[in-house]
Amino acid sequence: MASEGELGRKWDRCLADSAVKLGAGLGLGIVFSVIFFKRKTWPITFGSGMGLGMAYSNCQHDFQSPYLLHGKYVKVS
Amino acid sequence: TVGAFDSFRFVIKGSLAGAAVYVAYDQGLLGSGTQGAEALKKAQAALPPAIQEWTSYVGWQVRTLPATPKFDFSPSDSWNKGVLTVMSALSVAPTRACEYTVEGWKYVKDLVK
Repeated sequence: MASEGELGRKWDRCLADSAVKLGAGLGLGIVFSVIFFKRKTWPITFGSGMGLGMAYSNCQHDFQSPYLLHGKYVKVS
Repeated sequence: TVGAFDSFRFVIKGSLAGAAVYVAYDQGLLGSGTQGAEALKKAQAALPPAIQEWTSYVGWQVRTLPATPKFDFSPSDSWNKGVLTVMSALSVAPTRACEYTVEGWKYVKDLVK
């Protein structure tokens, strides 16, 4: 696998994941809207928004790795 | 008894909603980017047989769907190809414009003769 293709692969993963998360959020929003909220629109919008947000976060994590810094709390004894 | 019925209804609704969320979680729809991409691939692979089964169940005569080659579809590849095509077209555009102008001028001169 060529290293210059890595960015393209990350974009592909990001777009695929966005589609999946949007679909899942939409689906769960519809389920909750029908079951609990008397078929109002806002749970569907909320679910889609949450899905897009999760996808954005995953994409950000993917693009920033392996340079993403994780803080670690080291106890000095 | 109304209260009991309402509680029972709430329990049923809660179970359905909880089951939906659990199924989504179990299928990897709520996980990392890699899991989501794999879930999409699985769904794409499962789509043509499902459509086939559904159409045969409903009884519609559907000519074999054009084999959807989109399992290996790569948006980044398509984008890069598009950019290359546009840029190469732009790079030959001035030359082509000159050629067409010369031809057009010759055509007009021939008409006027």
